[in-house]
Amino acid sequence: MIVGEQKPLAEIKEKVAPYSKLLILGCGTCVKTCFAGGEDEVAILASALRLAFKKDGGRIKIEELTIERQCEDEFIKEAALAIARNDAVLSLACGAGVQMVASRFAKAPVLPGVNTTFIGILEKQGLFTEKCLGCGNCILDVFEGICPISRCSKKLLNGPCGGSRNGKCEVNSDTDCAWQLIIDRSKALGQMDKLITYVPPKDWRTSQAGGPRKLVREDHVI
Amino acid sequence: MARNLATTSSTIAVSVNTEQYKPQITVFHCFNAFNNITGSNSSDYNVHSIKMPCSSMTREVFLLRAFEAGADAVIVMVCPDGSCHYIEGNIRAIKRVARMKKLLDEIGLDGRRLNIFQIPHGDQSAVERIINQTVSDLAVLGPNPAT
Repeated sequence: MIVGEQKPLAEIKEKVAPYSKLLILGCGTCVKTCFAGGEDEVAILASALRLAFKKDGGRIKIEELTIERQCEDEFIKEAALAIARNDAVLSLACGAGVQMVASRFAKAPVLPGVNTTFIGILEKQGLFTEKCLGCGNCILDVFEGICPISRCSKKLLNGPCGGSRNGKCEVNSDTDCAWQLIIDRSKALGQMDKLITYVPPKDWRTSQAGGPRKLVREDHVI
Repeated sequence: MARNLATTSSTIAVSVNTEQYKPQITVFHCFNAFNNITGSNSSDYNVHSIKMPCSSMTREVFLLRAFEAGADAVIVMVCPDGSCHYIEGNIRAIKRVARMKKLLDEIGLDGRRLNIFQIPHGDQSAVERIINQTVSDLAVLGPNPAT
């Protein structure tokens, strides 16, 4: 999922200050799961903003709405009337959702309320960890399902650096050394031989380094 | 003995100046911690109590909306460690209250207006002590600035 966290209240308050009628638009998929932008977070933020403005003697009228996904036009349409009723939209979606709403509603200012952080997993309750950079050319088979691109601080493809200590990364001692994990798992699976094969330097053109990417599925294009 | 789990509030006893305002206190409580808060109102303050089947029902937005509705202080009363009928409801409530105290500070309302206490089952005197302490604290904090 896309993992994000809500921006600090002071920053959000400053962004929305010019508007008297605000729609806080939540997204019911990824950012809901990571407690950044689902129904509950929309309600809490709306209440916090009302209190913050009222305390300062100001007033803001806030409408709350959460749709299934902000990255799909089919769902965004459900927000059309609410967007028309308000001066601005504070989107609690990821950066993709914010841009989708902005492109769909040309006349509505759309403000981001969430910092999109990474593609990751729910490792355990309340803990989200990064697992994918979206490099565009997955080679997880070589590394037995552990990605050195996203999980090794140096993105090394041919073995660990000299900074691996007791299974931890020298960049951050809270972070597991991805290469320790790769070797441990390869041993457990009896696949250490695969790691002898040289992995050539990665072609980053399939990643963000190649500019904004597109995926076309001709069979779905009408 | 009731235990305050998230307090930063002053313990200085100060008499309430009732000419200024009559404190409004909202109490969210697990009905397993205690089941009756009647008699807590006085001519000096009002207590609005909300029963919950378990303190795990302490949702953050309800705490904030209590302040929007005019509460000067909000108290959450939960079962002691290891006594929650649903295992971890009190633990969840404690964490949520801690987070909302920080948010109240960010809002500028002062996180000391929100506190959580563990109440041994049926300890009515603890409830009364907590409310009296809250009334004293409000004499220092003053009315909710967002009302």
